[in-house]
Amino acid sequence: MRAWRPILAVVVLGAALAGCGSNTDSGGEAPAAAAGPWSFTGGNGQTVKADKAPTRIIAHAGEAAALMSFGIKPVGIYSDEPVKTDPNLKNLDLTGITILGEEWGKIDVEKAASLAPDLIVGDWWPAEKAHSGMEEGVDEKSKKLAELAPVTGVSQGKSIVELADGYEQLAKSLGAKVDSPEIAANKKRFEESVAKFKEAVAAKPGLSVAAMSPADDKLYVANPEYAPELLDLKSFGLDVLAPGSPDPGFPYWENLSWENADKYQPDLILWDGRSFTPTANDEWGKKQPTWFKIKAAKAGATVAWPAFWLHTYGDFATELDKLTEAVKAADPNVGS
Amino acid sequence: MSVASRPATRGARRASALGPGLAALCGVLALVAFLSVTQGSRDIDLSEVLHALRSFDDDGSIGSTITLELRVPRTLLGILVGAALGVAGAILQGVTRNPLADAGIMGINSGAAAFVVFAITVLGLRGVGVYVWFAFAGAIAALILVYAIASLGREGATPVKLALAGAAVTAGLTSVTSGIVMTNVDALNELRFWTVGSLAGRYAPILTGVAPFLLVGLVAALGFGRALNGLALGEDMARGLGQHVGRTRIAAFAVVAVLAGAATAACGPIVFVGLVVPHIARFICGPDYRWILPYSMLLAPIVLLLADVLGRVAGAPDEVQVGVVLGVVCAPAFVAIVRYARLSEV
Repeated sequence: MRAWRPILAVVVLGAALAGCGSNTDSGGEAPAAAAGPWSFTGGNGQTVKADKAPTRIIAHAGEAAALMSFGIKPVGIYSDEPVKTDPNLKNLDLTGITILGEEWGKIDVEKAASLAPDLIVGDWWPAEKAHSGMEEGVDEKSKKLAELAPVTGVSQGKSIVELADGYEQLAKSLGAKVDSPEIAANKKRFEESVAKFKEAVAAKPGLSVAAMSPADDKLYVANPEYAPELLDLKSFGLDVLAPGSPDPGFPYWENLSWENADKYQPDLILWDGRSFTPTANDEWGKKQPTWFKIKAAKAGATVAWPAFWLHTYGDFATELDKLTEAVKAADPNVGS
Repeated sequence: MSVASRPATRGARRASALGPGLAALCGVLALVAFLSVTQGSRDIDLSEVLHALRSFDDDGSIGSTITLELRVPRTLLGILVGAALGVAGAILQGVTRNPLADAGIMGINSGAAAFVVFAITVLGLRGVGVYVWFAFAGAIAALILVYAIASLGREGATPVKLALAGAAVTAGLTSVTSGIVMTNVDALNELRFWTVGSLAGRYAPILTGVAPFLLVGLVAALGFGRALNGLALGEDMARGLGQHVGRTRIAAFAVVAVLAGAATAACGPIVFVGLVVPHIARFICGPDYRWILPYSMLLAPIVLLLADVLGRVAGAPDEVQVGVVLGVVCAPAFVAIVRYARLSEV
């Protein structure tokens, strides 16, 4: 299946382009915003202003998903991987939206210019002091996207809830009816999921979890300090283990050789969603002689961790429900 | 008569010292192997290691699992791969009469990398166990390509043409590989681990997969001593001595393809061992390939295992890949050898 992805991507891209070419004149389908001047203060503290609310928006993948969840449809999207596999976009209807890039650091700025955008939306990365798509390492040519229109975005940082909330504010300023029942339903579902999650966690005192990403030559243990969704889970009461000696050069993880795989003994393993599959635990148990030395792995207590991609209340709710089930099923006495 | 007998007596005197030297190296290798099994990124009690080794049965304790399932295969693989790279480098240097010849220069690493990238991007495959076979096929394909290009023309595969063809194929394959990798982050991440050269994460299945190739290749390699001695005198001289130069070359390349191909497949491209160790061996043994080959075969795994142990102990609880350690430690050593020791001509 993977082999066909590039071809599929081309077909989809072609279809998207064809669809787009025929209706570029109809413009964005954003709901009419309040007339009069518009302004929004982004995550970098800068306020972007316009005579009226922008309607022709180009957005990065997850940010686009966030805006769309509030009914604001961008005219163009650039993503870091094929839109068919991007966790934020794969379940969305993208017809009528021009795809401007499907790999990290590459944006077709010429095509973007032809869309005549009046706003670019990308997360603000405080550590890199740049918006998504304009970070260091991105093609110089691609960075010229920033010259087409004002750029804004909510700050990536300590919480997905804050991120989702920020995009709700942005969408609202752009004219989204965030209180309309069908749009507010996502947030309501999220709040219910949080309540259920908190309840499940409270019922399992002493349950500890660790977020891990096993690889062929090493085992990586995530540092929650740099993973907003893990910080959210902590704020909901979950005991997410903080590794003792994160890599000084790249503190997102502590790297363990496979000889030291059993250094941490959580009761439940949150497994990097980018490599998690339902059969992964058994496969790794066979492949890595020390994987099952982690008692939780041996007991099969693993669940997908939505690592570094969440942007919307809806997606967070869905993932949270899976975590709730895993917490309910977990045995707080597996680890130590 | 005296002219003919002098080299013979010199050779005999050399042999009287080189023979025991070889035995001593075997002892050193055994010692280093013992270090590699007992030391690592995790402290395991020596008695626990010895108990595990004696019973050779994984009793479920982490100490015995690590000893028997991580360290023993890793050490055996290090010995085989080191020996293969060392002797393959020596043969390549002899047959191409090029002091810089090693698996990297003959297109082997780039061919293996290109096939691994193919496996990742087009076929969507993942995992060291899968890469082995693609890397092996790629190494052999690249070497055949180099040899075929060098064979074009009347004189056949001369050393100069081999070196040029190797450089050209390497450049071509490398640019294709980086072209693909630069546009595919996924492939880049996967390949990054592979290109460093590491013994980590390689367990029994990989060892048993490549061991037959390496063992056959190592035995065959030892038979090339006399032929390489002939080639070292120059092609015409070798022909005059009744050697089939073309046939020797093809046979030598086949053995190198199996050795370096399987070694690269198992551990990724490991630098320096195949280049530096034959020079050290030549420095010790003089120009006789009947000694250079076995010395390379023993010295290389000693260097490789020592570098690996160093990377594991120094990096704990993480590990530093052996390819990195070799680059850091071996480069200055090589400079020192070139600067202070009189290297024997190839």
